[in-house]
Amino acid sequence: MIFKTNTPVLIKSRTQVLAFVLWISMMVVAHASSHREAPLIANDPLADNTDLYAFRSPDNPNTITIIANYIPAELPYGGPNYYTFGENIRYEIHIDNDASKPGDEIVYRFVFTRINEDPTTFFNIRLGKQNIKTTYTLSRSIDGGKTFVDVVTNGLVPPPFIGPRSINSAVGLNTDYDQLINGAITTASTGEKVFCGPADDPFYVDLGGIFDLGNSPRQDKKNRDGLARYNVHSIVIQIPIATLRKIGADSTPTSILDPNYVIGVWASSSRRSIRTLNSNGAAPEVSGDWVQVSRLGMPLTNEAIIPIKDKDYWNSITPYEDLTDTRMDEYFYNPELSLYMDDAQFGGAVPSFSPLRIQRNSLQAYDFGNGKNGLFGLKGNPALAGTALDDAVFGTLLLPGAGKPRSVDLWPIFHTGVPNVIPYQLATGKNGNPLAAGKPFINNFLPNGGDMLRLNMSTPVTPRNDPKFSSMGIIAAAVAGLTDTAYNKSTAIQSIPNMDGFPNGRRLEDDVTRIELQAVAGVALAAIGLWYDDYTAGGANPVTTKLVNVLTYSTGVEKNDKPFKDVFPYVARPWSGTEVQ
Amino acid sequence: MNKYIILIFALFLGINAYASSHREAPMIANDPLADNVDLYAFRSAGNTVTFIATYVPGQLPHGGPNYYNFGPNIRYEIHIDNNTNTAGDDIIYRFTFFRIDEDPSTFFNIRLGKQNLRMYYNLQRSDNGGKSFVTILASASVAPPNIGARSISSPVGLNTTYPALVNQATRYTHTGETVFVGPSDDPFFVDLGGIFDLGDAPRQDGKSIDNLACKNVSAIAIQVPIGYLLNNKAARTPSTILDPNYVIGVWASASRRKISTLSAGKETHSGDWVQVSRLGMPLTNEAVIPIGHKDYWNSITPYQEISDTLLDNYFYNPELALYMDDSLFGGAVPAFSQLRIQRNSLGAYDFGNGNDGLFGLKGNAALAGTALDDAVFGTLLLPGPGKPRSVDLWPVFHTGVPNVIPYQLATGKNGNPLAAGKPFINNFLPNGGDMLRLNMAVPMTDRKSPEFSSLGLLAAAVSGLTDPKYNSNSNLEFIPNMDGFPNGRRLEDDVTRIELMAVSGIVLAAIGLWYDDFVAGASPVTTKLVNVLSYKTGVEANDASFRAGFPYVAMPWAGDGPCGGVLADSASSGVAMASFLGFSPVSVQSAKKMFTAANFPNPFVNQTEIQVEVEKAGNYTIQVYDITGRVINDLFSGPLSQGMHTYQWNKAAVVAPGQYFMRVSNLDDKTFQVIKMSKQ
Repeated sequence: MIFKTNTPVLIKSRTQVLAFVLWISMMVVAHASSHREAPLIANDPLADNTDLYAFRSPDNPNTITIIANYIPAELPYGGPNYYTFGENIRYEIHIDNDASKPGDEIVYRFVFTRINEDPTTFFNIRLGKQNIKTTYTLSRSIDGGKTFVDVVTNGLVPPPFIGPRSINSAVGLNTDYDQLINGAITTASTGEKVFCGPADDPFYVDLGGIFDLGNSPRQDKKNRDGLARYNVHSIVIQIPIATLRKIGADSTPTSILDPNYVIGVWASSSRRSIRTLNSNGAAPEVSGDWVQVSRLGMPLTNEAIIPIKDKDYWNSITPYEDLTDTRMDEYFYNPELSLYMDDAQFGGAVPSFSPLRIQRNSLQAYDFGNGKNGLFGLKGNPALAGTALDDAVFGTLLLPGAGKPRSVDLWPIFHTGVPNVIPYQLATGKNGNPLAAGKPFINNFLPNGGDMLRLNMSTPVTPRNDPKFSSMGIIAAAVAGLTDTAYNKSTAIQSIPNMDGFPNGRRLEDDVTRIELQAVAGVALAAIGLWYDDYTAGGANPVTTKLVNVLTYSTGVEKNDKPFKDVFPYVARPWSGTEVQ
Repeated sequence: MNKYIILIFALFLGINAYASSHREAPMIANDPLADNVDLYAFRSAGNTVTFIATYVPGQLPHGGPNYYNFGPNIRYEIHIDNNTNTAGDDIIYRFTFFRIDEDPSTFFNIRLGKQNLRMYYNLQRSDNGGKSFVTILASASVAPPNIGARSISSPVGLNTTYPALVNQATRYTHTGETVFVGPSDDPFFVDLGGIFDLGDAPRQDGKSIDNLACKNVSAIAIQVPIGYLLNNKAARTPSTILDPNYVIGVWASASRRKISTLSAGKETHSGDWVQVSRLGMPLTNEAVIPIGHKDYWNSITPYQEISDTLLDNYFYNPELALYMDDSLFGGAVPAFSQLRIQRNSLGAYDFGNGNDGLFGLKGNAALAGTALDDAVFGTLLLPGPGKPRSVDLWPVFHTGVPNVIPYQLATGKNGNPLAAGKPFINNFLPNGGDMLRLNMAVPMTDRKSPEFSSLGLLAAAVSGLTDPKYNSNSNLEFIPNMDGFPNGRRLEDDVTRIELMAVSGIVLAAIGLWYDDFVAGASPVTTKLVNVLSYKTGVEANDASFRAGFPYVAMPWAGDGPCGGVLADSASSGVAMASFLGFSPVSVQSAKKMFTAANFPNPFVNQTEIQVEVEKAGNYTIQVYDITGRVINDLFSGPLSQGMHTYQWNKAAVVAPGQYFMRVSNLDDKTFQVIKMSKQ
């Protein structure tokens, strides 16, 4: 019964992979590569893409909201030249909805212009006039970037929230900041709702702890949100699902995991290849090809997976180039972070990660420690027939070789998404055999091989005020599917709260740092029945101490410092320059 | 006096000889690595002068994984002019940086004794105005970022202490300089949020904030023997404490190559070096130059300013003066209400924007032999009508102030500002450019002395006018803080306050051009003068104490310390745990208001005590669950009064080792809290 349900998926997947593999060989020639050196994009803040979100809009579920943030850690009081989007930069949001076609299907490109309304003052805002006033043109391509059509012209970026004198008083703009935000929301000629402007940084993370050699949660318990009270510049665009879905997808999804409703989203910024400083204090001359200088798909890839020597390189390539690059794959097969979650390696050196221990002996058979074989020993085993691990189904992507244990979980989460195919179903109903059919919980499979946020747009929205809403995203859905009697009595596809959470897209609330650390500790493997070492195969209760340790692991910084808005643009109002230190 | 004319002629001749530096900066704010933040120059122990140039503004101490540092492909320079007869700079210190990744396999900055993005520098010195350079330090190490205790002090990090790293980064050249390059606390202090919100400093709500507190910068500190900085006419021992041959002008800059090219995974740089940032006097480009010319100002050298007439007007008629004048926009900036410029000084002189100031005296015999005599200084100080501040703000920023009438304190002038008075400053170096000018002959004021003041030279002027120790004669004598800004700049000097007071005419008052409420024959210490002198921005000192010895700047704030973010709500940890047990996370949040629960010890071996602090009396239950969600113990059920209640978990000794959860519920509010308890 379950096998039958899955059969069409498998056929479709096989077709996709074949097309995919064909396309890869073509793409290398057809798709112009972008290169760049970024000794540190950290040194080019205007072009620095900080975060990307993609989620079904809670108040408008026929649409998807994509948020791309730029310019990290803006000091709200950073005057006299407050932050804004840069000129001569292409800020882009890319969407792939069909892995059988090379490259992007839809590209949104934002280009900004700055003007000074009163060049005689050193103040940013004075007597109703604004300096460094920024406007934008949004153009859209639906042919993979070959041609663009302007869909918003002269879009307004709200001014920085300097303070009450500049915004509210009669010697300033004599208005209200919320009014400025609302006044900057516009609708494109093609139906998208758009906002570009400063916002509270929706991300939250203990930078000071985690980058001090993984001290998160801090051993002295004084966890700090290192991004609290800083702003970013947000591009927020709300797009009808009908615009985003693959050509040929049914107008109503066939299920809540309809494979034709998966999109891959990534953001980037590009500059011209040549910049020439001017001799008279005027703006620089820029010329030459556009070169990608920053990109973002999945959160934290370039922060905590790619090591220092390859970070700049990673920024310079597109997701479509990820697949032909084999060097980066190794950081997913054998991630540095898992060294610190393994007592046989450097587990003892990072006490904060002590609840996080990867499977070294799952089901007394499988070792996912770095350099070990994971499931590779099953290669060719008839038990894999028809599963995602069958070479005949997905090629050798998931079991590429020995010594690459995380090729079955971390690599696909970041590079292809996860299909609703054995073994990628919850252990519920598997009766102890991870290679049996289980309860479906995800299908964000879009096998283009590149680092993207992948969202199945047919998955229902969990209301933000639902008591079951959880910042643990799909891990919360998995836990419910395994343990909640409302869901764990059958292997039927059911809408489980938080199936619309990271890594199925990314909601503003999702605690991606925690989820990714838990994923490195093997929680996705556990969810599909590859339990932790303290579970004895055949035993009654797989919810062991080690599993609870991983599930209850927390960085200690679990939510944003400001509540999000219930309505577009969802991001919170920026901090004003006078309200914070 | 004619030598000054010669100097100025030499200066004009110099324009052609000195290659100009050009740059574009739509906003240097967008190029933080090259952004020169502040410049300091002050006398230090052992007959030395210390220069500190800071770069890369507003650094978050926790700004990982790629912590801030100096950049390669940039020339960071400190320029010194000690002789206006020679064109351009006389001495240049040039710092260039290169980077090494000691362990490219990790995403951490520091791990197991290895450091990534480790920066080294070469220091070169030119004694011929930049024609040739000699390397005086090669491959010297920049102090690493102060990431936190694990990275710096632990055996898995560098296994050292941060002060030890600072000491290691302090180097001595074979030519006698002491050098430190590395991160430090930002020594500047200012209420950015208030002042740039249309001048709200001090904030009218009384809540002024130092927005540079808790931020770091990248500092270059270099201590140079005074002997190396003297011009060829200077005596080895200064002739007086205001010896004119002991004046230096100092400025700092950053330059990049003209062309940068992104290609094939590399950024390459070519072409001439172009100046992208510069700094001499503090706040010039922030608060004097308007937005339309800030980028241009950054692009030129100080030596190009004398031929530029566009920028001079912002000093003759500064925007800030509009907000210190009731007939203009004084009413629009209530925070400046104590600052009012002279509109009718001595019943004769109007220094309001667009008025003539002292220009009406032009050609008057009373000016003969003074600095305002065209025969002495040319027309620099009285260039025309409608330029009232050509006699104070313009020279403070562009030439320094000579020890010449009228630039002496009113003490001894007997009411005539054009009479000789008590000397208090000579940092005159008339090259026409924006620089910090320091007379190195002026003795140091001990930082621990009770007379030390962050008001700098203004404090010396007030003493020279009002302190009986100094105001009974017009002799040249050392007055504490004569070594303070704008005679150079000490780390402690409150330059924001001093400059706002200067815009408000305090220098004019010091030399006898009193405020409008002065009545001839009465005390010049009038209400308006006291108002200006007692004006404060509300932020008067740095957030960290400076060090008594080199490099003087305070240690950088640590990334894992109190400046590294906002403390997270410790109660939030219960939220996600509760969600795994199928409980509502929403109500856990509100539980905080009703009660707080904890157990001790945790983890425990045989016993643990559960504490519930009830803020709102009501009906409660306390239950213990195992990890499968099964209730294994009903510990309490019933009413609880406000206050602390404690319970022993009576099964603690008999349950198996592992995880347990205690759930405390308020039945009235349907709120609860869940605590994880570990039995070992």
